[in-house]
Amino acid sequence: MKALIAAQALVPAALALLPAQTPTCDLVSGWTRQGAARAYDASNLFEYMDGNAEGYLLYGFVAMHGVTCVEGGDSILIDISEFADADSAYGMFSANRDPRLPAETLGAGGQVTPRRVIFTKGRFYAELAANPDKDHTPALRAFSTALEKLLPGSAAAPAALAWFPAEGQKSARLIPESVLGLRLLKRGYVAEYEFGKAFVVQESSPEAAAAVMDKLRARFNATGDSLQLTDRYLGRLCFIQKGRYILGYANVAEGHDPLALTTALAARLP
Amino acid sequence: MPDSSRRNFLIAGLAVPAAASAARSSADDQKHAAPPRPALADPQLRYRILGDTGLKVTSVGFGCMITSDASVIERAADIGITYFDTARVYQSGNNERMVGAALKGKRQSITLSSKSGAKTKEAALADLDTSLRELGTDHLDIWYLHAKTKPADVTDELIDAQQTAKKAGKIRFAGVSTHSGQTELIPALTANPHIDVILTGYNFSMGQTLDPVLAAAHEAGKGIVAMKVMAGGFRFVKPGNKVYDTLKKDGALLAALRWTLRNSNIDTTVPSMTDMDQLEENLKAMTGGFTKADETLLARQLERIAPLYCRMCGQCDGACAKGLPVADLLRYLTYADGYGQFSLGRERFLELPAEVAQVRCDSCDTCTVHCPHGVRVAERLGRAQELFA
Repeated sequence: MKALIAAQALVPAALALLPAQTPTCDLVSGWTRQGAARAYDASNLFEYMDGNAEGYLLYGFVAMHGVTCVEGGDSILIDISEFADADSAYGMFSANRDPRLPAETLGAGGQVTPRRVIFTKGRFYAELAANPDKDHTPALRAFSTALEKLLPGSAAAPAALAWFPAEGQKSARLIPESVLGLRLLKRGYVAEYEFGKAFVVQESSPEAAAAVMDKLRARFNATGDSLQLTDRYLGRLCFIQKGRYILGYANVAEGHDPLALTTALAARLP
Repeated sequence: MPDSSRRNFLIAGLAVPAAASAARSSADDQKHAAPPRPALADPQLRYRILGDTGLKVTSVGFGCMITSDASVIERAADIGITYFDTARVYQSGNNERMVGAALKGKRQSITLSSKSGAKTKEAALADLDTSLRELGTDHLDIWYLHAKTKPADVTDELIDAQQTAKKAGKIRFAGVSTHSGQTELIPALTANPHIDVILTGYNFSMGQTLDPVLAAAHEAGKGIVAMKVMAGGFRFVKPGNKVYDTLKKDGALLAALRWTLRNSNIDTTVPSMTDMDQLEENLKAMTGGFTKADETLLARQLERIAPLYCRMCGQCDGACAKGLPVADLLRYLTYADGYGQFSLGRERFLELPAEVAQVRCDSCDTCTVHCPHGVRVAERLGRAQELFA
């Protein structure tokens, strides 16, 4: 992250979060604020996140508020980002969590490592980063627990995640655009397994979903209600439509049946 | 920078281990090296030499930052794109892991770069080791110091880190990436013999501003890679938005890439790509030159994004005779027009004091606000009032 440059005086009044949602250092006793509080919106996030702002904008970033807290020689940067909706905030979290590490029960989803905590709640995504290089877990947990209580919104993970079978799941993410690298599939969830990846794309209506299915048939030169084919990059795959959803599996390993997997997934959808 | 670090750097610079001299870190070796062969050579591909590194790269590379599906990267490599760029910080490291998986088995035929934003040598080298592990490779072709904005950001300590990595065979070439402050920073990088490659934001919305410093850098043998080639304004219009769809239909995105490539001092570009369609469209930029039609499209594009593109410079503060907070109102309108977040824009508008929210721009004969960047202020404020009030 870039140097902490935004002065509170420059923060547009209308961008300020409610006081209860703005991070403060007195959430944990003994910690004090260093320097000015930070505030950014989509038009100037690059000043802080130079080189990484697009990763936030991709998920519908709205605003970020942050402070740096110090105690002795330790410092913790706290940044709370607001997204357009809870799904997008969760999407940001799921793109940034390390799927190899365990999840933490924190908000709608969290991850705690010795120098870093990320979690999401409602339409907010929180990042805490500690210095210097040592185990800061107790302080990070204390701040994140206090922040989690302050942030409004649901602590439930997006309902879509429950559609994907939990067994053998390596990760589940919101893909904000071009699911499977296909522009036709604008936005949806993808869950990865050892044997392939499951996806669900939600269209605005069954008619819109049917139109996308037609385009998929044309693109892959396929016919039928369920599209089963083998693609050089997406491997053995299957698409079907259920109401306003398009769903299926891609890169399915030998020994697994793409259609059977997709049918089972469809049964889990509303 | 403490003297001792500078001294250590100079000493280290003289003491080149024998093993390192035989490693892949010599620019001279690379100048005469055979160009990498794409897996699927295509006559539509065009190559340029990346400055004195001698690396032969396709003029359109691949910026992996926001790519969600590895299949797009894999396909790009199969088609013959030879330059792929990522960074330690992208998606908290998940991006490097995806790029590594996608390019597995193709490492020898591509040029791979990553970046570290660390401030110290120790942290930077630790970042590099993590990058190598996540990317599944024993070396990077180019390792950038990430997002520097002024010469003082490129410290001797960080240069020392790059030189140490070079000697250890972990990187072939050293680079610096920059998104702003280029007119001051690029000349400093040009004068720095330890920097091989400069990765810079460069697009049509900048006009000719950077051309002289880029020409001088290229003349000095630096490899020049352009990013943000689609212009910052495109950030404000996302897929699904009417303006974006119009631009896409117009071919303005492709024209923007061609505008960048028309400059022979640009060796390659790293446009972000999230899908196969974008990949295929971008490939066309390699063969088609920048045309009059492209010029017209971009002029129209500039006209379109200018009103959306409030730079928050603050020069309009206090300029409205009726006391409107101009920059704030323009931002609320961006929420609605740019992001499709009408309710958020309206919510913010309704939080304004009543005497401000009641002002109507059409009640003024002339507008006292003049944006130095071309935002059509009166028109935009009028639209905000029409939409939100």
